[in-house]
Amino acid sequence: MNAARPVEQALWWLAAIPATMVIFVGFGLPLVQSVVASFTRDGVLTLANYELVYRLYRQDVVYTVQVAAAGLALTFGIGIPLSGYLRLHHSQTAEFLLKVPLFVPFVVVGHAMRIFLAPRGTLLVGLHALGLASPDTTLAISEGALGLSMALAWKHLALVVLLLMGAFRGVSEEYLEAARGFGAGTFRQIWAVLVPMAAPSIGLAVVLSLTSMLASFSIPLMMTKGSGPQMLMIDLYYRYGQHGDIGVASAIGVVSYLLAAGAAYYYLKGIAR
Amino acid sequence: MAGSATPNMRDRPRGLSTLVFRAALVAVLLGAIVGPLAGLVLWSVAERWHWPAMLPQQIGLKYWIRITQGDLLTALNRSVTIATVTTVAALVAAIPVSYGAARARLPLGPVLLMLFLLPQAFPQLPVFASATVLFYRWNLAGTFAGVVLIHMVGGLVYTVWTMTAVFRAIGEDVEEAAINLGASVTRTFFRISLPLAFPGVVASAILVFIYSLDEFTGTLLVGAPYVTTLPVYMYTASLGYELQIASVTALVLMVPGVLLLVLLERFLRAEYLAFFGRL
Repeated sequence: MNAARPVEQALWWLAAIPATMVIFVGFGLPLVQSVVASFTRDGVLTLANYELVYRLYRQDVVYTVQVAAAGLALTFGIGIPLSGYLRLHHSQTAEFLLKVPLFVPFVVVGHAMRIFLAPRGTLLVGLHALGLASPDTTLAISEGALGLSMALAWKHLALVVLLLMGAFRGVSEEYLEAARGFGAGTFRQIWAVLVPMAAPSIGLAVVLSLTSMLASFSIPLMMTKGSGPQMLMIDLYYRYGQHGDIGVASAIGVVSYLLAAGAAYYYLKGIAR
Repeated sequence: MAGSATPNMRDRPRGLSTLVFRAALVAVLLGAIVGPLAGLVLWSVAERWHWPAMLPQQIGLKYWIRITQGDLLTALNRSVTIATVTTVAALVAAIPVSYGAARARLPLGPVLLMLFLLPQAFPQLPVFASATVLFYRWNLAGTFAGVVLIHMVGGLVYTVWTMTAVFRAIGEDVEEAAINLGASVTRTFFRISLPLAFPGVVASAILVFIYSLDEFTGTLLVGAPYVTTLPVYMYTASLGYELQIASVTALVLMVPGVLLLVLLERFLRAEYLAFFGRL
């Protein structure tokens, strides 16, 4: 296409303004503002907010990383073998089922998991119906780290399987044929061929899931009760919502930006190598 | 693509153990994926369910009837209205950016495209909390316009990126032919490019509509205390231990997604699926 004329160029710029303004006003400016607010208390530049975060929430930083790590381990511990198996042995039913969580909103996942994993939740009802649990059993999963990481894994598994299946399908059939020629079974084909060849895509899926889990808010909000360690985003929400303390809330936010950036950095460093 | 033509790539016949394994796999997946959702259905019809009964003592549609009346209906209406306005606004705002970026008419187009990815790259809650403080200053907090604005922030990612891909897929030669025949650039856009892009426009409209319907974090912060959408309503119900109401709302919220899943299986391209991981 011939080069655009100056007037036309200007018109395209004008037409792009509303969308850009929305992102600027609704995201860019608040993002900068939150960084500024995290260093400000009563109009003075200070590190007091971060001191408070260190004093009150340092254990929650650890807890958040632990929950995200456990969620990640569950997601990929199940996702990699499952995607590999489905790459080698196609199953339409299994692939359809795995897509379902993609279309279930985060809040709904949180609520569904809360009633599913409750001490006398619907999981227990199901196990009882199958004769796997006695009537007086109770489960204590829903409110702890395990329940949270299970819920996060449930939601993220769908996207991870989708990404991994795409990557595994990109691996040429010839390599798999060769591996089979040497007597490799399903397990060996997955670990010795599919996983190494799809490593960059797996890395991307790990980073995407990790940042999303570290910053997860609606699932923990639906599942957590008042006491015990909390996810960082819950701390942030209460700090802002109940204490009206945007300074400390923003400092928690900056910690979460750094955690997310750290995950992305390791990924990029991995690619560069 | 492997799979579709040759479901099983092994030459030797499948053994009984393989069949059993596959059946077990599907059964476990069914339990793990449908199980938690089935719990929602059970709770939504449980009019009375007290320990130690394993199943509800009284089953009925008492709580489902709430959809047709009162605050649940109000929340549903508000959600649909906000989602509709957000979809139209996000599409109209995104089209010039996408078309400009796709045709390299927009200087800095690639930079602009990255800008629209920002809301997906950063944790949303701290930014939205900070946005709420600003919105209070501008009298946008707790208003319909404020909620639409915050929904557009997330929604523009879907429209801008899908529409850019759609416009790139339309051959420039068709447009050049129109221009060579004397049509102006603007006329070419409205008469040739936009109609050709229609399926893509519909796809991204569906994406934004569902995103907006499900959006929780931004609405909870910016909408409080006056704008209650379905997800916020569900949260409030669950907070008050109204598990039945929360479950009915949860199931209502799942309807558009389930419809879309079925539609996508039949009509739409798999590429759009990856976007849903973020809903």
